[in-house]
Amino acid sequence: MTKNHSVLLKEDKCEGCTNCVKGCPTKAIRVHQGKAWIKEDLCLDCAECIRACEYHAKYTKTDELTQIVESNYPILLIPPSFYSQFTENTSAAKIKKAILNLGFKAVFDVAEAAAALSRKTLDFLNNNSGSFISSSCPVIVRLIKLQFPDLIEMLIPLKSPVELMAEKLEKKFKEEKNINPDIFFLTPCPAKLTTVKRAIGQKESFLSGAIGVENIYKKIYESLENIKLEQPETEIITLATIWGSEGGEQSILQSWQDINTLSVSGIKEVKKLLNEIERNNIAESIKYFELTSCLDGCIGGVLNVINPFQAKFNLEQRIKKIKEISKNQKLELNISDDEYYNFALPDEITADDISKLDHDFKIAMQKLEQLQKEIEILPGLDCAACGAPDCKTFAEDIVNGRAVRVDCIFMLRQQLGELADELSNLANELPPVMASKKEETDDS
Amino acid sequence: MRKQQILNKEIESFDFQSGGEASSNLKNILRKLGVSAQIVRKTAIVTYELEMNVVIHSLGGEITALISEDELEIRVDDDGPGIADLDKAFTAGYSTASDEIREMGFGAGMGLVNVKRYADQIDVKSSLGEGTHVKVIIKLSS
Repeated sequence: MTKNHSVLLKEDKCEGCTNCVKGCPTKAIRVHQGKAWIKEDLCLDCAECIRACEYHAKYTKTDELTQIVESNYPILLIPPSFYSQFTENTSAAKIKKAILNLGFKAVFDVAEAAAALSRKTLDFLNNNSGSFISSSCPVIVRLIKLQFPDLIEMLIPLKSPVELMAEKLEKKFKEEKNINPDIFFLTPCPAKLTTVKRAIGQKESFLSGAIGVENIYKKIYESLENIKLEQPETEIITLATIWGSEGGEQSILQSWQDINTLSVSGIKEVKKLLNEIERNNIAESIKYFELTSCLDGCIGGVLNVINPFQAKFNLEQRIKKIKEISKNQKLELNISDDEYYNFALPDEITADDISKLDHDFKIAMQKLEQLQKEIEILPGLDCAACGAPDCKTFAEDIVNGRAVRVDCIFMLRQQLGELADELSNLANELPPVMASKKEETDDS
Repeated sequence: MRKQQILNKEIESFDFQSGGEASSNLKNILRKLGVSAQIVRKTAIVTYELEMNVVIHSLGGEITALISEDELEIRVDDDGPGIADLDKAFTAGYSTASDEIREMGFGAGMGLVNVKRYADQIDVKSSLGEGTHVKVIIKLSS
């Protein structure tokens, strides 16, 4: 795995079809010599290419269970979305026991930290003017850093639930048990894996690694029926488990207070929304935006096993059950435990300034002119046969010296035609001496 | 350095489908030129307001953007009907938009007010029966 992103290419499986190239929201993929390469600095790990690829050539390599359980003191953090992978009849206690049996020393719910973060978020929104964007989905944060840098100031400067949980546990285990735990995350998406290596807004992640749901699901599922619990099975997980589904965060905030929020999922839709926010075409009265890159939220994560429709239903049923058993219709708003969390992101989130043509304005202007000329010359069919997603992006690659015009088959055909004409002209052309000789002989 | 044209786009009356394209295009161009995020944002807001003014109120027009190292100039020229009272047009909440337009979420009477708020200079020439000509300057270096 590279440091910058987690989506990788299986070269032997890639047919060079450009489906992923076309579907990439940041235009980060180019087919070069028949293979779809990802440009690291543009990749958000949104996994749209994994979804688009019919040949399964794009994949994510998360940590292996065998390696994880060999670490000193492995702890696994379960995301709220993981509970969507089972029906509500499989209790959380049973799922956790199954995970412990795999070799983990302890297992915790990230939803606990999500609950705390919701409380903190409400407090933050009530004490700060302006509108804010959730910074819990790492893809959205990276998208803003890359394509909407002027909206960085809207990102709520609070850590994500998984980082909050990991930080709290690390501290707790050190203080109470003098143990240095290795904390792993059971991730539904490649983006969370990337944040382990490349944290946003903090120097280092509190996680040691991440394992994809797909890597571990079968083992858990198969062991469930053999698990006998000593205590009676009660559903003891928090209502904040609803965070796993789109609108979950919003529903918690609104259960406490009449607050204007908007929830949008799916990276293409989120991009449209951010465009509208950028040009002030969204009401300022909306205080908070819950945005997730995956359609339907984290349950739509590409590393999950259960289809997102069933997953959504499963999670809804589980929430219903938690409400029934706990006899609580909403999450507690005041809990003193929250002070153990260190909510604030220590570092500023900065822009990924890579869209400019040149650092020097005058050279950038020249390149822009050149770019506009290239765009006019190119056919504008956006066929992607050159390996870039569309003619405009291809033109930019040409200007930046990363492609040549004849990578376009239409330009190549045109040039070949011109070359053929020239060759034919050349073949029929007689040198002047011969021509005059010919005239002489004709005259005689 | 003289100003160079970086955008020229026709805007059709009531074309809500492509309304906003000039703003998006200009935003992308400015990013490519390395203009700072805050100025790109200002430009996006100003251009979108002006563009939608043409879509909503006019018989069609065009938008042109010119740039030098120091400043960005946005010109919006439409073919009428013109603004009857310019002072009123710059008053917050004042709008001549129809109920239909308001139902679409436009016509809150903040258009030119917002443009003025984000632009460094604004010059509007207009009279009834003639077109409206707006020239906005946004400084690139603070």
